Amino acid sequence: MDYLKYVDSSSFLHKLDPRTKFAFFVAMAVLTSVIKSFVALTFLLLFFIGMWKSCHIGTQILTLLAKLKILLLFIFLLWSILGMFSVPEVDGGPIFFQTTFSWMGKPHIFCFDWYDLYKGAVYPLRIFLMISSFYTVLLTTNFSEMILGLRKWHIPYSVAFAIGLIFQIIPITINELQAIMDAQSSRGLEIDKCGWATKVKNYVTFSFPLLFRVIGKGQAISLAMHYYKLDFSVKRTAYKVIKASRLDIYFVAANVVAIAITIVLRIMYYIPV
Amino acid sequence: MDYRVEGITYKYSKDGRTVLDNVSFSIEQGKVTAIVGPSGCGKTTLLEILSGVIPTLISSGQLSGTFQKPEDSLVSVVSQTPENQLFGYGVEDAIAFGLENMGIPQAEIAQRMDYVLDLLSLQYLRARSVANLSGGQRQAVCIASVLAMQPDILIMDEPVSSLDPNGKSLVQMVLKQISLDGNTVILVDNNLVWSAGIVDHVIGMMDGKVVFDGSKEDFFQDFELQHKLGVIIPQEVELYRGLLPYFPKLKMFYTVEDGLMQLAEMVNTKLFAKSYTEEEETGESIISVHNLEKVFSDNFHALKDVNANIPKGKITAVLGQNGSGKTTFVKHLNGLYKPTTGDVRYKGESLLEKSVAQISRNIILVFQHPEHMLFEETVEAELTFCARMQNIPFTEEKITEVLTKYNLLEERNTFPLNLSMGKKHTLTILSVLFSSADVIILDEPTLGMDGFLMKELEALIKGLKEQGKTVIIISHEIPMVFRTVDDAIILNNGNKIFQGTKQQLAIRDDIFDKIHISMPPAVVMSKALGFDKICYNVDEFVEQAKALTRKEAE
Repeated sequence: MDYLKYVDSSSFLHKLDPRTKFAFFVAMAVLTSVIKSFVALTFLLLFFIGMWKSCHIGTQILTLLAKLKILLLFIFLLWSILGMFSVPEVDGGPIFFQTTFSWMGKPHIFCFDWYDLYKGAVYPLRIFLMISSFYTVLLTTNFSEMILGLRKWHIPYSVAFAIGLIFQIIPITINELQAIMDAQSSRGLEIDKCGWATKVKNYVTFSFPLLFRVIGKGQAISLAMHYYKLDFSVKRTAYKVIKASRLDIYFVAANVVAIAITIVLRIMYYIPV
Repeated sequence: MDYRVEGITYKYSKDGRTVLDNVSFSIEQGKVTAIVGPSGCGKTTLLEILSGVIPTLISSGQLSGTFQKPEDSLVSVVSQTPENQLFGYGVEDAIAFGLENMGIPQAEIAQRMDYVLDLLSLQYLRARSVANLSGGQRQAVCIASVLAMQPDILIMDEPVSSLDPNGKSLVQMVLKQISLDGNTVILVDNNLVWSAGIVDHVIGMMDGKVVFDGSKEDFFQDFELQHKLGVIIPQEVELYRGLLPYFPKLKMFYTVEDGLMQLAEMVNTKLFAKSYTEEEETGESIISVHNLEKVFSDNFHALKDVNANIPKGKITAVLGQNGSGKTTFVKHLNGLYKPTTGDVRYKGESLLEKSVAQISRNIILVFQHPEHMLFEETVEAELTFCARMQNIPFTEEKITEVLTKYNLLEERNTFPLNLSMGKKHTLTILSVLFSSADVIILDEPTLGMDGFLMKELEALIKGLKEQGKTVIIISHEIPMVFRTVDDAIILNNGNKIFQGTKQQLAIRDDIFDKIHISMPPAVVMSKALGFDKICYNVDEFVEQAKALTRKEAE
C-alpha cells in the first residue's frame, strides 16, 4: 500500500507552491472532462509521462496503473461491447465483423468495428489522466504543505487541518488493516486460499478490530490536540511560509502550452464519441 | 515552588468504582518524579487529571480534590506512541505545531526550535520526515516538540515501552539532559530499568491509593514494596537485593561498575576463562532457513543470504536492533512473507506453496500489538479462536483450567479489548495453547506488561517448552531473554551474525558490541568476577557469589 504515500524527494514538482499543484489538478480535471479526442488525450499522457519521469515518480504511477487495471479494463470492455450493438457513427475505419440477429421479435445489429475500440480506449484514458493528475499532487505534496496551501487560499484552519489529518491517517489505517489481516491469518483464518464469498466475509470480520484501532487512534489524536493546545478559535501563527517561485512560473507556462496544444489537437482530430 | 496533588478522588461515572482515592503528594520543581504501580492502579487516570484531560475532554466523571499549581502553568504530555502524537510531515513541522497553536511569533518559534534541537542533540534530524524516523528518534522529536512549548511540567507516559535498546538509550540521554536543565518531569512507567539513574522521587500507587512517597534510594531499599507493586527494576538492584543477606556490608549499586568494585573486595575473583562455558548441543532442527533473501518493492534489502536452523523443542531468541530484520525473518517462517530467493522448510518440507492459515497448523505467530489479534466478543471465545479455526477439539474443563491458572477466570465473559494491555497480550499467547501448532513465535510479548505479568509470561514460555513446543521469541528485554531461552539468532542489518546456544552467545562480547546491546548485568559481572559458571539470572549469581565467599572464609 506504499504507493499511496507521499514520495520524499526534492524534484521540481516537490518544490512547487502547493497552490500551483492544486490549480494544476483542477485544470487537468476540467480538461479531461471536456476533451474526448484520443489524439489530444495521448498528447496529454505523453506530457504527463515526461513530468513523472523528471520527478522520479514513474514507479509509483506504474503501481497506480497496475492497481487500476481492472477498472480501466472494465471501462474499455463496457464501451467496446456497448458499441458493438450499433454501426459506427463515423466512417473511416475497418469493420471486423458484422451480422444481424433477432431478439424478442425485433431485429438487432452486431457490428465489431474500429469505432468500438476507439471509444473503448478514450474513456479509460480520460479516467486514468484524471486520477493520475490528482495522484501526482498527492505524491509530491505532503500534508503539512497541503494545509499551508489551503490556508493561503483562506480556507479556515479547522477545515485545512481536517484535510491534512485525513492524509496523515489514511496510510496509518491501511497499515493497521494489513496488520490485522496478517495477525488473523497467522492464527488460522484462511484469507489466501478461499472463495470470494469467504474473502468478503473475512473483510467484514476484519472491520471490527480495525474500527476499534481507528477509534483508539482517534482518541489518541484528540488527546494530542489537547496536549498541543490546539484551539481553532485562537489565531495561530505559522513557522513556514509558502510563496510562488520562478519554478511555479515555468510550470504554469509549460501547462498553458500543453493545454493549448491539447485543445488544438482536439479541434484537428476530433472524432465524436 | 513545588506543585501539590491534594486529596484527589475520582470515579469515571457516578456509580462506578473509585479509581483514585484521596491521592496526595508533592511534585518537586526541577526533579524527575516517577509514578509506579501495577496495571489498573490508577496511574493513567492520574496522568489524565494532571494534564487536564479530565475534566476538559472527559467530563462525565466525579472529581474531587485539587492539583495545586499556578493558574497559567503549562502541563504537557509525551505519550507512549509518538506516531499518534506528532502532527506534521517534517520534524520542523511537528516541533512548530504546538508553538503555532500558542500563537508564538515566527522568529521566536525558530529560536525555540534551535534551542530544543541543540539541547537534545537532534539537529541532525531537522530536515527529516517524521515517517522515516526510528522509534527512538520519533520519541525524541516528540519530547522536543513538547519541550519547545516550555511546559512547567512535562509528563512522560511509558516513553520507551516500544523502543529497542538504541531508542531507549536515546530517550534516556534526552531525559538526562532535560533533568540537568532543571525541568520538572513526571514519569509514569512501571519499568524503572532504563530510568533508575535519572529518577529522584518515586510515588508508588496501588488500588488508587498512594502507598509510597519518597526518594529513589528509599524505594529501591524496600524490596517488599517493589514486589507488591510489580515494578520492573534494574537487574543491578535485583542482584543487590539477592546478595544483601549474604553480604551485609554491600551498598546499593545501580551500575555494573559500582557492583563489581564492591564485590571484588568480598569474593575471590579470578580471570574469566572461556573454557568455563558449557558447550551444549543444538540438537535436531524443526525449521530450516536456506539462503533467504528478501528485497521489498522499494528495493530495501531486508534479509541477506540468511541460513538458520531452529532447534526442536527449545526456546530460541531472535535479537537485534529495530530494522535489523527480526520481524521480516519470523514473518518468513509463518508464510506472511515469501522469500525473494531461498527457502523455508518445516520438518524438511518447503513452506513456500502453503498459505499462512495452512502453515498456522504447525507454526503460529503472535503479534506485537494484541489489538491486531483480538476480535471476539468474550475472553473465552478469543481463547478458543485458533482451535475453532483449525477444528481442534477442546473442553470446557481445559478452558476453565487455563483461565484459572492465568488469573482470567473472572474475565471469562469480558470483552477482550477492555482488558489491561498486559492481560490482552497474555490472552493472545494463551489462545495458541488450544491450537495444533508446535512452533510458537512471540513478537515482543512483554509490551505493556508489569513485573507480575512478565513473571507469568516467563513461566508460560517455559511451560510451552515442557509441553514439547518450540518457541521463538523476539524481545528487547535482554535479562528476560537470558533467563528464558536456550538458543539465539542475532541479526544485524539483514545479516545473520550469530546462531548458537545461550552459553556460546554469553562469551561473544564482540557480537553485543556490534549490535549495541548490553549483556545482562548478571552475565557481565559473573564473567568479570571469574565465577565458575556464567550466571544468567540473579539466583545463579547469588549462589556463585556465596560459594566464592565461603571458600575465602575457609
